[in-house]
Amino acid sequence: MHAATGDFSTFMPQIVTMYYRLIAKRIYLSFFLVALITLSNKLSAQDGKALFQSNCASCHSVFKQVTGPALRGVTGRVPDNKLLHAWIHNNATVLASGNKYFTDLFNQFSKTPMNTFPNLSDADIDAILKYIETTPPPSTTPTDGGGPGGKEPDNSFLYGILTIILAVIMLTMLQVNSNLKKLSDDKEGVPSQEPIPFYRNKAYITFVILILFVIGGYYLVQGAIGLGRNKDYQPEQPIFYSHKVHAGTNQISCLYCHGNALQSKHATVPALNVCMNCHAAINEYTGKEKLYRENGEEVNGTAEIQKLYSYTGYDPKAGKYTEPGKPVEWTKIHNLPDHVFFSHAQHTNAGKVQCQTCHGPIQEMNEVKQFADLSMGWCINCHRTTKVNFPDSLGNDGNKFYSIYEKFHKDIKAGDSITVEKIGGTECQKCHY
Amino acid sequence: MIVIAVVIIVSCSDVQRKPSRVYMPDMAYSRAYETYSVTEEVKDSLKKHGINFSNLPVPGTIKRGEMFPFALLKDKDGDSTNYVASKQIPNPIASLDSVQSVESERLYLVNCGICHGPKLDGNGPLYKGGEGPFPAKPATLVGDAKYEAMPAGQMFYSVTYGKNKMGSYASQLDTRQRWMVIHYIKSKQMAGKAGSSNSADSTAKK
Repeated sequence: MHAATGDFSTFMPQIVTMYYRLIAKRIYLSFFLVALITLSNKLSAQDGKALFQSNCASCHSVFKQVTGPALRGVTGRVPDNKLLHAWIHNNATVLASGNKYFTDLFNQFSKTPMNTFPNLSDADIDAILKYIETTPPPSTTPTDGGGPGGKEPDNSFLYGILTIILAVIMLTMLQVNSNLKKLSDDKEGVPSQEPIPFYRNKAYITFVILILFVIGGYYLVQGAIGLGRNKDYQPEQPIFYSHKVHAGTNQISCLYCHGNALQSKHATVPALNVCMNCHAAINEYTGKEKLYRENGEEVNGTAEIQKLYSYTGYDPKAGKYTEPGKPVEWTKIHNLPDHVFFSHAQHTNAGKVQCQTCHGPIQEMNEVKQFADLSMGWCINCHRTTKVNFPDSLGNDGNKFYSIYEKFHKDIKAGDSITVEKIGGTECQKCHY
Repeated sequence: MIVIAVVIIVSCSDVQRKPSRVYMPDMAYSRAYETYSVTEEVKDSLKKHGINFSNLPVPGTIKRGEMFPFALLKDKDGDSTNYVASKQIPNPIASLDSVQSVESERLYLVNCGICHGPKLDGNGPLYKGGEGPFPAKPATLVGDAKYEAMPAGQMFYSVTYGKNKMGSYASQLDTRQRWMVIHYIKSKQMAGKAGSSNSADSTAKK
């Protein structure tokens, strides 16, 4: 700008130059002022957010009722700014004065007293109120998470069609070939029989029967092996509970809900109060990704959370349990026959097996499906290849149960005779059970 | 015929909603009552045969190896007598050995870290500075004077019965585990204080 005024000064009188200088100065000054004002504005708004988060956010949310009411519009509900400041500084005095609005509010929230904030200055409170009234609501438009399927197309169907087409072509060619042969034979005067139609040709019939036998046999054997096995079993549950949202997106540990996996035979389905640890406050699904059932049907996450409230008898508006709860009848997916003993504790504690080893990528499943076929062969294969984690040379960590065998080993090395009987070889149950 | 076959193959969904068939399921289904298999209806039908079945422990019993339960009951709505009284109750676990302290950290990370943050800064994955789904800000356990001054007994009260929007963890953590978690939080607070005031050894203050 100075350069511009300088250019003018070369062919303008002195006064005009001075005039332009003045304007330039003023423009500078006003720019500076505007910048200062916006900056200070930003500062106080930022301050308001920080103050809100450190003082208010543990009980209040701007848009949602948590322990206390949602605060957006509070300056409209309490127009008297002085009263509002007094309430925030020390709510007990306001309550003692018998203010009707605040007394009603206090009773509505089952007389849960609000903390007092005598240390907040009036400027601080104004900054907080400004933040409350100006912060934009969080965007809740979910994006399409790559569609319901997102699976790679299965190519085997295409291959099947291709095979059938090729087989048809081959048959036609053979037929054409035999016709041509007959034609040439006729021409050369070689006597030949009438060609047999392919459906009466013994070679063809044998071939087709053989193929049907192989295919039929394959499916028969597969079907027989599959009896009682449930790989990919994916029942519809009473509530659409997405492991992807909970364990994947929100990174909740498996053990938060299935805590008994370390201590018990069963990993256990959590009691509903565990759900309510979070869902007493989280009453709508605001995730970025849309939810789909396996058949492509879209799921309303908020409605599913409402189902949870209907089971627990929780009224999210009042923040209280108003009706008696009833258990959710989940469908058990992973079943073992009664003649198999399986303990989660043994596998997770001693074996240090991860959940995903047997249950698959559970943190990516919206609806849980059985990942392994849970057949005996599957168990045995893992037991054959998994190495036992023995303690290190100092005797730390690892599975100490077998240190007794190490002792046997040393005894044998030292020349002591360890008979089978001595390690329990003649116990009745070794042979009779 | 090919058309029919194609239609059959295409119309078959690969979502398996029903369990597969079984053939002669010898000893496949339990005769005993398995976990969760006893519903209210089963209990009622048993009662008709004169059998009183309960899958809950008898009230007032303590399982083997468990600590003595918390002496204070939960306050009624709008009352805070026991919450205040809980300040007087000390942590019965005076110190943790190395295995126990690793375990207490694990318990904290599994059960508490999701909200209160792995660094105990009140900013776990569920809150994420207000971005996460949880609307209320979890308590800043390290770095907030209020929670650093809070006695262990009062923390135990909150973990056992819940406080504000935090639920009760009595069903997930037994008495000993809850005290262990509180011991872990207190030790982290001590370390945090020592770290901020001077970088001398953290145990000297205790």
